[in-house]
Amino acid sequence: MTFGDVLIQQVINGVSLGAIYSLLALGFTMVYGIIELINFAHFNVFMVGSFLAMYILEALGLNGQNVILTGFPLVGVLAVALVGTMLLSGALGVLIERTALRPLRGVPGTAAMITTIGVSYILFNLVLLTIGADAFNFPNPMPKVRWGEGGVVLQLREVLVWLVAFLLMAGLNYFVRHTKMGKAMQATAQDQEAARMMGVEVDRVVMITFFLGSALAGAAGLVFGLYYNYTNFAIGYTAGLRAFTAAVLGGIGNIPGAMIGGVIIGLIESLGGQLLEVRWTDVIIFSVLVLVLVFRPSGLFGRAAVTKS
Amino acid sequence: MTSIRRRLLLATALGAGVSLAIAGLGGPTPAQGAEKSVTIGIDLPLTGADAEGATRIKYGAEMAIDEANAKGGVAGYKLDMMTLNDATASAGQYDPAQAATNAKKFVSDPNVVAAIGPEMSGAGKAMAPILSAGDLAIITPSSTNPDITDPKFAGQFRPAGKAIYFRTVTTDAFQGPNMANYMRDTLKMKSVYILDDSGAYGVGIANAYEGQAKKIGVKVLGHDQLNPKEADYTTALTKIKALNPDAVYYGGVAGAGVKFVKQSYDVMPKTIKAGGDGVFGPEYLSAVGFPAAEGLYATNASPHVTEDPAAQEWVKRYSERYKVQPDDYAITAYDAALVIIDSIKRVAASGKPVNHSNVRDAIQSAKVKTLQGEVSFDENGDINSRVVSVFQIKHNPKYPVDDIIHQYKYIGVAPQSPAS
Repeated sequence: MTFGDVLIQQVINGVSLGAIYSLLALGFTMVYGIIELINFAHFNVFMVGSFLAMYILEALGLNGQNVILTGFPLVGVLAVALVGTMLLSGALGVLIERTALRPLRGVPGTAAMITTIGVSYILFNLVLLTIGADAFNFPNPMPKVRWGEGGVVLQLREVLVWLVAFLLMAGLNYFVRHTKMGKAMQATAQDQEAARMMGVEVDRVVMITFFLGSALAGAAGLVFGLYYNYTNFAIGYTAGLRAFTAAVLGGIGNIPGAMIGGVIIGLIESLGGQLLEVRWTDVIIFSVLVLVLVFRPSGLFGRAAVTKS
Repeated sequence: MTSIRRRLLLATALGAGVSLAIAGLGGPTPAQGAEKSVTIGIDLPLTGADAEGATRIKYGAEMAIDEANAKGGVAGYKLDMMTLNDATASAGQYDPAQAATNAKKFVSDPNVVAAIGPEMSGAGKAMAPILSAGDLAIITPSSTNPDITDPKFAGQFRPAGKAIYFRTVTTDAFQGPNMANYMRDTLKMKSVYILDDSGAYGVGIANAYEGQAKKIGVKVLGHDQLNPKEADYTTALTKIKALNPDAVYYGGVAGAGVKFVKQSYDVMPKTIKAGGDGVFGPEYLSAVGFPAAEGLYATNASPHVTEDPAAQEWVKRYSERYKVQPDDYAITAYDAALVIIDSIKRVAASGKPVNHSNVRDAIQSAKVKTLQGEVSFDENGDINSRVVSVFQIKHNPKYPVDDIIHQYKYIGVAPQSPAS
């Protein structure tokens, strides 16, 4: 491989990695955008979603990489897994909102955010205690399709991640812009009190927001499992940290910002690792974050925080 | 005196009297029969990424202890086990801070006369100074980082002077370099890229391997670190692929290792992949799966005993009792327990009190016949017999995927010196 080839390959790697961070950052940033809550539990809902997806795929008869499908059966199986995972993860999100967050509605300060940290740890430890610490070979029906053997290689799974990420982002965008509930969500994001006064059922909006955010986390979990053929109780931790950074980098609350932030983090990871050393990745990523925030505190695309009087 | 003061005086006198009486009754008396007991501490990472291997080790030690108790104890003493977990959820694997806490617990309990463990050298480094201060011996069945017993670092790891970290396994001073010899001589490796997982064991064995590789004329194309908490190693693997080494050597344990093996199959399936005893384990079979795991080389810092005809009866007993296959470190754990049992016997026979200091001295001078042969230790606590065994994963469809005895094919002993 020529050096040029290596660089191109690393760009492809970085962009694919970025897609995963973007997907994970999507639901997280959306929840903040609507109800101004930093939901740390998001990243362990992602981890739980990954396990749910694994069980759904196993129930459909898949086992490791031993069953390969193509064409309609492949699309069908993936669609069933995606929808199933999103519904179940969304339900988990609603459960979290109902039990842990609704009682704190209206409480000023960081109580709600800290509660999400607690929920995050509870999910993490519940999975550790029930399922254990083992890594699992994630069932994957996708054929190993690669383009460009020998030089720069593009894999089917990388295309898949981007496809799903774009579909979900487009779907979310449509939902928020063009449906009644979406408009209600936008109104709630602007001013909860005023929205309530205009007849918006804020309780319902918050519930739907959580459902959607967690469903997106679950979708990210499925895609993660298919991409790496791997899942484990600890995947929420680092992926979460990077996705959180991507969301903040792009401007928390801003959906396209999350996508771009994700790609930036992914590229830093791959190009930084190639040109320097992989062990410096975390240092580089967080240095970039700190620099961006120093000069643009609300992130690259975030709006300046409106002080509430 | 007022009546209150009188009552107080009476109560105090009564209390004192009762206490003295109880003390008088319960004082140390020469116990007859198996009422007296001693405790053997066990420290292993029983949850987290290395839980499977740790559990097999625990069973090995437990089996020896239970067998001794079934025969009536050792010199009349019943053996109790104090099993402590040195893994924490936040680390996701062994946690040196937790290991240190466990060491303090062992040392502060006068009934603990010796201990078995830890599995991981990172835990060992944290425990050694505490055990040294408490003059409590520990025998590790699997910790291979050489620093802990190296006289150069005696000030750090045994400040009280005497050896307390004993091993029924040899060290990475041999495990890493002997594998480099094997890979150059037998696999004809001319260039290598080295990775480690930033843990104490991984860095140690990777560095030892690198030193030897350079010494015997192998080109080392680079040495980088994988973060066990990260999920994606494509960047590092792409970089390595571009350099086109004959082999990649990974020093480290399952946290990063499983992902490394899985992902390197995608990126560079034809490159030779090798590691130390950190890549010898069922998680590489079940979590990595085939064909990704096929061809991985692993070593063990002990002789290969589980397929030895002489040991088959023991293997059968272990498998039937615990419903899992033993690995070679289950054997070294069993042997560690045998050494402790023999040492307790010798201390009791000599008439000295069975306490941790005397048991430590007895362990230092041990010469015990065990499954892996005769075990004795040098003045640093290292085992005198140094054997490194080489294995390669070769899929055997007749057996379950996570059967380590049958999926890891024993190849032979890694040479202590290179061929030329």
